[in-house]
Amino acid sequence: MPKPIRINRHGAHDIAIEWDNGQTVAYPARFVRLNCPCAQCEDEVTGKRIVQDSMLPILTYPTKIEHVGRYAIQIFWSDSHSTGLFTWEKLWELADKIDDWKGSIKLPKHSLQ
Amino acid sequence: MPTQEQVQDALREVIDPAFGKDIVSLGLVQALKIADGRVALDLQIVRSSADANNNLKQQVERALKGVAGVEAVEVRLTPHARSAGTGSGQGELPGVANVIPIASGKGGVGKSTVSANLAVALAQTGARVGLLDADVYGPSIPMIMGATEAPQRGGRGIMPVICHGVKIISTGFFTKPDQAVVWRGPMLSKMLTDLARQVEWGELDYLLVDLPPGTGDVQLTLCQQVALTGAVIVTTPQPVAAAIAEKSIIMFEQLKTPILGIIENMAYFESRKTGERELIFGAGGAATLAHKWKTPLLAQIPLATTVRETSDGGTPIVLADPDAPAAKAFVEAAAKLVVEVAMKNANAEKPVEINF
Ligand SMILES: Nc1ncnc2c1ncn2[C@@H]1O[C@H](COP(=O)(O)OP(=O)(O)OP(=O)(O)O)[C@@H](O)[C@H]1O
Ligand SMILES: [Mg+2]
Ligand SMILES: [Zn+2]
Repeated sequence: MPKPIRINRHGAHDIAIEWDNGQTVAYPARFVRLNCPCAQCEDEVTGKRIVQDSMLPILTYPTKIEHVGRYAIQIFWSDSHSTGLFTWEKLWELADKIDDWKGSIKLPKHSLQ
Repeated sequence: MPTQEQVQDALREVIDPAFGKDIVSLGLVQALKIADGRVALDLQIVRSSADANNNLKQQVERALKGVAGVEAVEVRLTPHARSAGTGSGQGELPGVANVIPIASGKGGVGKSTVSANLAVALAQTGARVGLLDADVYGPSIPMIMGATEAPQRGGRGIMPVICHGVKIISTGFFTKPDQAVVWRGPMLSKMLTDLARQVEWGELDYLLVDLPPGTGDVQLTLCQQVALTGAVIVTTPQPVAAAIAEKSIIMFEQLKTPILGIIENMAYFESRKTGERELIFGAGGAATLAHKWKTPLLAQIPLATTVRETSDGGTPIVLADPDAPAAKAFVEAAAKLVVEVAMKNANAEKPVEINF
């Protein structure tokens, strides 16, 4: 598994991670927030997601990112959430799911009318 | 002017006989500077023998003088270790270069005895050493190290007690016997981490932490909240003990804390008359574990009445009877530990850079 070298801001609110295998992955902020692995956001037993897109403010973004040891980061979110630790494994695993998530985004109902 | 590469190549020709490896690979070359024809460096020493250290120093000087363009060479011996620094400073104890927990699966395998002797052996090389007795359930470091006074309050926190050249803090200084039993996991964990931070350690090359046995909440929290260089696992030769020690290894793996090595305590009993080694607790448990987890077996410490007696008397065997086989084994373990830390820190991956 590759390891991150650098974590930068991408655009206004997204997170760009530069991995040591040469890849740079741009993570949409909302996508990362929705995948928060903490106990409030994910059922520890069943692994089912608790946090849903509809529960988050329209604009949800990281306000601060900090190291946790040498294996993870802690993200402080604009919705005051900060309990999730994103390990390198988790972030690398999430890289593969970004495209699916982008494909699944539905426009808000009112904009369809 | 000699190039960095030429100098490095010359240094790679200098082999430390005790390890059979060159000093660059061992991580012992620090602060290398090349300016015009001058080469200066610090060579980290791993043992207290002045002869061996000076010998190595002379070899380094000779090797460097052989490089084309080198006119002057300045080699300083230093007992100080490179820092394991996370870069961000997160979880670090200020001034402490390396935090090393000493862990075991089972209780009573000699974790405290090993911690105390390693600490003293490291301090004998001139390194600045601290020892945190985190075994809230059975703090024994004050007894083993012969601490008689209680720690004093300093300007910013608690001053450690100095015994045999080692800075000591024990939970036993602050809790009455039986009190630990009343406290619950989270409270204990918090107290320990707070304690580690409140001590005025000053500048330390190594802070050894004598953990309680097992892989409970206390161990987990401390290891999560304090940035660690790596852990040392203590076990006895029985396969059962090794199987439990493996649980500690797995815990550290999960915390992404490297294992610096395994120490097999009570490995054998040497007959005083015949010198024959009797394998009282069986053999091979620690070696198998070390092989499986690709970590060095730092030492096999014999079972010896004098180990216990010297500990009970407040002067670890490394000091009390330095010629005893057990004392020599502890010194050897300390030297190997120094090298493991040096190698690890020299090769340490750059910490992740966060610009957010
Ligand atoms: N190599 C040895 N030879 C003889 N006695 C030893 C040896 N190592 C440790 N002992 C003795 O065994 C007993 C247990 O050792 P120690 O207290 O260091 O173990 P521990 O793993 O720290 O135990 P605990 O789990 O209670 O903290 C002590 O009396 C100690 O003096
Ligand atoms: Mg103990
Ligand atoms: Zn969460």
